[in-house]
Amino acid sequence: MSDVQNYLSPHRLDDAVKAMAGGDTTVLCGGTDLSPQTDSGLREYAGTLMNIRRIEGLSGIDLIDGQIRIGALVTVTGIGNSQLLDELAPVLVEAADQFASDQIRNAASLGGNICNASPAGDMIIPLLVLDAVVELSSWRQGTVHTRQVSLDEFFTAPGKTVRQENELLTAVIFDQPAESFVAHFRKSGPRPALEIATVSVGIGGRLENGSLSGVRVAMGAVAPTPLRARSVEATLEGKTLDAETIRAAAVDAGEQATPIDDVRASAWYRRHLVCVFTEEVLNDVLEN
Amino acid sequence: MNRKSSDTPIEKTTLIGKRVRKPDAPDKATGKTRYINDMVLPQMLIGKILHAGRPHAEIVSIDVSAAEKLPGVHCVLTGKDAEGLRFGFVRDNVALKNRVRCEHDEIAAVAAETEEIADRAMALITVEYRDLPGVFTPEDGREKDAPQIHDDFPDNKSLHFEFRHGDLAAAEAASEIIVDNVFRVHHVTHCCMGTSCAIADFDSNGKLTIWSQTQYPYNYKMDLAPALGMHPGDIRVMQPPVGGAFGSKLDVYPYEPIAALLAKKTGRPVKVMFSREEEFRSSPTRQPAVIHMRTGCTRNGTLTFRSADVLLDNGAYTSWGPTIPVVMMRTTTGHYRVPVVHFNAQAIYTNNPYAGSFRGYGNVQTTYATAQQMDMLAEQLDMDPIDFHLKNAQQSGETTPQQAFLRECALDECLRTAAQASDYSAKHRRYTLAREQQGRYKKGIGLASSIHNAGGAKIHKSDGCGTILKVDDYARVTVITGASEIGQGIDAVINLIVAEELGIPLEHVTIVNDDSDIAPWDVGVHASRTTFIAGNGARRAAVKARQQILNAAARMTEIAAQDLDLRGGFVVREDCGTKVIKLEKLLRRMHFQPEPELVMVTDYYEPNSEPEGADHRSDHSAAYSHAVHVAEITVDTHTGEIRVDRITSAQDVGRVINRMGLEGQIEGGIAIGLGYALSEEMQLEKGMLKNPCFRDYKVLTAPEMPELDLHFIESNCAEGPYGAKGASELPTIVIAPAIANAVYNATGIRFFNPPLTPEKVARAIWDRQQTETGPSADR
Repeated sequence: MSDVQNYLSPHRLDDAVKAMAGGDTTVLCGGTDLSPQTDSGLREYAGTLMNIRRIEGLSGIDLIDGQIRIGALVTVTGIGNSQLLDELAPVLVEAADQFASDQIRNAASLGGNICNASPAGDMIIPLLVLDAVVELSSWRQGTVHTRQVSLDEFFTAPGKTVRQENELLTAVIFDQPAESFVAHFRKSGPRPALEIATVSVGIGGRLENGSLSGVRVAMGAVAPTPLRARSVEATLEGKTLDAETIRAAAVDAGEQATPIDDVRASAWYRRHLVCVFTEEVLNDVLEN
Repeated sequence: MNRKSSDTPIEKTTLIGKRVRKPDAPDKATGKTRYINDMVLPQMLIGKILHAGRPHAEIVSIDVSAAEKLPGVHCVLTGKDAEGLRFGFVRDNVALKNRVRCEHDEIAAVAAETEEIADRAMALITVEYRDLPGVFTPEDGREKDAPQIHDDFPDNKSLHFEFRHGDLAAAEAASEIIVDNVFRVHHVTHCCMGTSCAIADFDSNGKLTIWSQTQYPYNYKMDLAPALGMHPGDIRVMQPPVGGAFGSKLDVYPYEPIAALLAKKTGRPVKVMFSREEEFRSSPTRQPAVIHMRTGCTRNGTLTFRSADVLLDNGAYTSWGPTIPVVMMRTTTGHYRVPVVHFNAQAIYTNNPYAGSFRGYGNVQTTYATAQQMDMLAEQLDMDPIDFHLKNAQQSGETTPQQAFLRECALDECLRTAAQASDYSAKHRRYTLAREQQGRYKKGIGLASSIHNAGGAKIHKSDGCGTILKVDDYARVTVITGASEIGQGIDAVINLIVAEELGIPLEHVTIVNDDSDIAPWDVGVHASRTTFIAGNGARRAAVKARQQILNAAARMTEIAAQDLDLRGGFVVREDCGTKVIKLEKLLRRMHFQPEPELVMVTDYYEPNSEPEGADHRSDHSAAYSHAVHVAEITVDTHTGEIRVDRITSAQDVGRVINRMGLEGQIEGGIAIGLGYALSEEMQLEKGMLKNPCFRDYKVLTAPEMPELDLHFIESNCAEGPYGAKGASELPTIVIAPAIANAVYNATGIRFFNPPLTPEKVARAIWDRQQTETGPSADR
């Protein structure tokens, strides 16, 4: 059992990243993943526990120069209630509406959901569909240094990302989708509410004259990391979204999935659901 | 005061059947209630238990020296501190073990100043185990060379039950249709919101006070005493508010004697409270069972026989779980007329967690089988299921093969009411036809029924309840009752009954039932008995007090007692309601006179029933009740998800006492039953629980509750208080088979092994498609 030696609750980003410079820091935001993980012994606290909830400037959802920027501290409730996102990227609102319970949505932050790096992370799938990048901040040479990493390249294994120990995820950024962009998300579990995705599927693209282009397909809980299914994207790209194409995409999605058996579902069922959901989401996209 | 209004006569009204709020509801809703889990006593230490974390092993060595040396640790106990202190139904359990028989076995216990210190001490205990091969199914446990779990229970045999009535071979030969299936019902657990907790404290005379969540405080003393080597008379049981019990607190579990052993050793109060993970791993389960059931009938739809051969996974120790055949056989032999019945049940020790009692107690398991077989027979007969049920339904005045006498039997009316309200027959036909048509979503409707004891169940020497009632100088009433309140609402029922008899406001009744040194004996909260038994006791006590008051009023006013009534806090004239004297004024006059008189009465109510008996032929309950549920569902044949659209329930409740409490009981019972049917399951892998958290153990939540259409059938039980019968278990009992029958109606697939998870349903539908169309290349 490890003990927390220091508790920090900075108001400024520079103070936060300075504190992280030496590593050995556990970042706390909503705590909805962190506290059950530490309670059950899956994870230990580092010497410093830093609550980032009070850092100013990381709680906005803004449209800046054709890009949407969501601060890492924005809660899932905040995403679900955002007028801007409802207009410009409704797939995020759709996913927020299927996220756990109201209580958890009120506490859980976007940054936390991404950094937890669960293959089932509910916010990650729609963000992959939106081709988002994450902004990582660190203290370097007396100033706050930032770099951007494509979300697609962010995850390396369950619970693991390319984020360095001294880096804080500060924002998620994606291009404002085109007028004709349509995307949908679907997840499942044994009950409708308060559920971890058994699998989830998100699909988006520009829908023009019944065919999709710029297609992005993402799947959750079917591989060690949230998955961009590029071959399914290729199957769909530029094709008329007819029953045959949809069926082919569903079959392909099932083949791309490499799920596991666990307490939540068997690999068979996960693969089966990927096919069902791919078909369903594509029909939703077509009907948009 | 306005003279006119004070002279207004008071009309006779009744509270029976009204909606009355539970007296503790505002405190619970606002967070004011101090549950046992919130309690802190001065000088209190925290006790923690080291669990084995393996299913079957010998303990080679155990070293607690480092833990003992940790500052803040007051004592560390191990198996040697509990040696010989055997407890449990067959004395096969001990608070701290020298050998591991299941994952949660208690190996050591620590008492420390804080929880953090106790946790650190636990980490310092080193135990060397030698793992043994285990037994994880009752079938394996029966094998000739199976590992033996208890030295003194050869062949892993635990309890055995048998009942035979009539010539089975002849009845089978006379049957034109026989259904024969094996049902496997699973492990679930109670999921009380308040985790298990006990606080123990000894005084200098060696008397133990234990703050407990128990739902049977008097026999609890008897069961706890041997685990401590004490006399039961030296134990005082306190019952602070609890966060649910549902049968899980109807026995002694090791954490309770552990708290007491730690308290004894340290001379300080010690609190042991489970984490949620411990609660999942270490609290009792519902009894799982393998039920081989056969039911026969003639071509004209008359039942000929029923047989049940039941194998119970006893788990590592014997609590109430393996005694469920007592109830299983009542359902097997009753509610539909079965002239010939054979019932046999054997419990086999395994290295799995062990079962306690759980709402529905054996009947949940059995009805899952009986109600589906009724559905199967109706289909094979090509008969409307309702007609088939009605043809065989027992009626008032019948006696079951086990000698249960059905005084007021409303099964018939329950069946007709539920079927009519849900339009069952027409929908059943329509959905059967629609099954063959294309379409992703399939609708289904299913019906199930059962019987349950509704006037107690005399499985102990007495099934009674003691009541002491006093009325003070201000006409405030205190009812000291043996009946425990564990959330089920006996407080509201007693308030209502006493207020009804004494004509006083509900808020003027106080109940004392949290201290075994004060309240008189009661057998405990189980068997849907408390409203019936404690309600009768409260009524009888209130009637005695009422008579004493009216007699005193008669003496003072020279109006005959039978011409007086108590209404609205006054003694009034029975015929016109004219006020005679204010009740509290009368009480003071009775008190402060040359021959003073206080109103304090006692009652011990013993229901009119016979002991269960070894041959299981007895009228063991003072009343029996029936319920019929109709479930309407939609199945997503692609994902396998079942949405429950509507439940229609018709239940014989005898008579409604507190309508709101009754609605709560039935709705809550349905919620527990739906979880059992659809989503809840303890996933055990070689005795180890894989989903010890609410993330992975799926209790249904509010959005999944279907629309409910509740019908209360009032059969007016002669023995019950105001005609009421016990009601709380039936709603949990009948819901799962109603769902399973509805899923069959929707899909044509039978599910013998609950829960009907989306994966199980999707897999069955997919498998059937494969056999119908041949292997498909795409999945």
